[in-house]
Amino acid sequence: MIGLVAFGRFELGRLLQSWKFLAVTVGFPVIFYMLFLNDRNPGKVVDGAVPWRVYLMVSMCSFGALVAALNAGGTRISGERACGWARQLRVTPLPGWSYVTIKAVVSMLVVLPVVVLVEVVGTTFGGVHLGVATWCELTALLWVAALPFVVLGVFVGFMVNAETAYPVITMLMFVLGYFGGLFTPVDHMPQALQTMAQVLPSFHHVSLGLALLDGRAPSPAHWLVLAGYAAALGGIVIWRHRVEESRGLA
Amino acid sequence: MEGCSDVRAQPGHGETEVIGAYPAVHFTDVVFSYGAAVALDHLCLDVARGETLALLGPNGAGKSTTFSLLLGLQRPQSGTVEVLAMSPRHAMIQGRLGAMLQQGSGSGLPPGVRVATALNLVRRLYPHPTPLDVLVERTGIDALLTRQTHRLSGGEAQRVRFAMAIAGDPELIFLDEPTAAMDVEARRTFWRMIQDLSTEGHTIVFATHHLDETDHADRVVVINRGRVVADGPGATLKAAVATRRLTFVTEHADPLVLDRLEGVTDVELRGSGVALNSLDADATVRDLVRKGVSFCNLEVTGARLEEAFMALTEDGSGAEGDDR
Repeated sequence: MIGLVAFGRFELGRLLQSWKFLAVTVGFPVIFYMLFLNDRNPGKVVDGAVPWRVYLMVSMCSFGALVAALNAGGTRISGERACGWARQLRVTPLPGWSYVTIKAVVSMLVVLPVVVLVEVVGTTFGGVHLGVATWCELTALLWVAALPFVVLGVFVGFMVNAETAYPVITMLMFVLGYFGGLFTPVDHMPQALQTMAQVLPSFHHVSLGLALLDGRAPSPAHWLVLAGYAAALGGIVIWRHRVEESRGLA
Repeated sequence: MEGCSDVRAQPGHGETEVIGAYPAVHFTDVVFSYGAAVALDHLCLDVARGETLALLGPNGAGKSTTFSLLLGLQRPQSGTVEVLAMSPRHAMIQGRLGAMLQQGSGSGLPPGVRVATALNLVRRLYPHPTPLDVLVERTGIDALLTRQTHRLSGGEAQRVRFAMAIAGDPELIFLDEPTAAMDVEARRTFWRMIQDLSTEGHTIVFATHHLDETDHADRVVVINRGRVVADGPGATLKAAVATRRLTFVTEHADPLVLDRLEGVTDVELRGSGVALNSLDADATVRDLVRKGVSFCNLEVTGARLEEAFMALTEDGSGAEGDDR
């Protein structure tokens, strides 16, 4: 147990000391937010009755969560597996499952401040004003719903080698961002893309936030798809980890 | 064929044999194969507590697989592996084992942190770690502590990984080819550290394919093709492979004469150059003079490692293991 805490603190510290990680996870959502802010009429209505400025903040929270989760997992995990550090940890008292678990927990921990940061930008520059309870509810919702992003990051770290992890992460950031309706609302897209968005976790993530602020009950499909991604990708990671353990590679 | 036949060279060191009620390592009739390739073929191996054991063998003999099983990274297909009278994984989680694995292309260290941070993490994973200053002094890495892990050379990274292996003050230390990336000076320092750890009562098992490194062990086990082919004190094994190689130039190289020289086991001729393998170099030289064979540029060297292995594996019990 002491070991798990020590490893968690080590991982978190390492992430927060990484200049590259901070620049990407803070920079991308905030800069995109600022760029989009001047782009359209902030009062224009999207996704039913959601004002553009509200959509923009929620979608940038989703994008921030996505970027943080993918970058905390993906390239770092595949790099550590390639250089032998993950294997070195296997010959310490740390239990075998703790590497993956701590990676996921730490990714979740760094997603939270990114969501909060975008919300702060939203209320200071974006013209979004909510009650304290609604802010808290929105933050908790977007945070918990980011679990599939975190699992996706870990998944990439396990399945993709160190050289290709970075391009894969970048591609996922923009594919899930654009086609999931984080840069342009899905209902402003052609029908084919609207259909495609239904299978992307990013679409369901942002939709949960928008439904909350619009006062609608969220569709259960959102939770189902998000949980499905987390379970399926997580299952593959665990399976892969077991196979490697039995072959003495992990 | 099966079971644990004793291939120990001689039984004369009974008094140092048992420290504590159970052995540090207990390997019984272990079989491990990678698909069709048999890596360990009914391997039996016991290591007493407090012993320093060298596992000697050519590449592909099964040394790394043995370590992998000892550390619980893999499980044998049959046979039992016990470390400190429990499963290796269990002993590992209790913090009683430390290990240095063979390293591929990477450093084996976490990227993006200083050496001290990485070392402290590993220390904190153990219940009773060595204090950092003691660890640093012992391994001589004080100059590396503030360096970033990815800026270390291969030899430096290896020293840090050795420090990690002993950071938790483990009872048992497993080192798979520990000196591979070290220069001569680093090796000398390294073996001095091993000596100190051994004196303190740690059990140490290290793998090597350098015959001379077995000088640092109380006992040497030679494995080849996944079986123990020789087992005994280092000196006995060295005597068993005491073949010397004599090379010289002669005007009249007569294979019949050379072959009958005292001690000679093998003759090679290359033009006027002659190479002899001999079990008694002194006697061979005396016989050369006695028989009036002219020679110049005489050199006597130790046998090459391959020949040493051949000498050991030919008269050991490994001869039957051909049908893998």
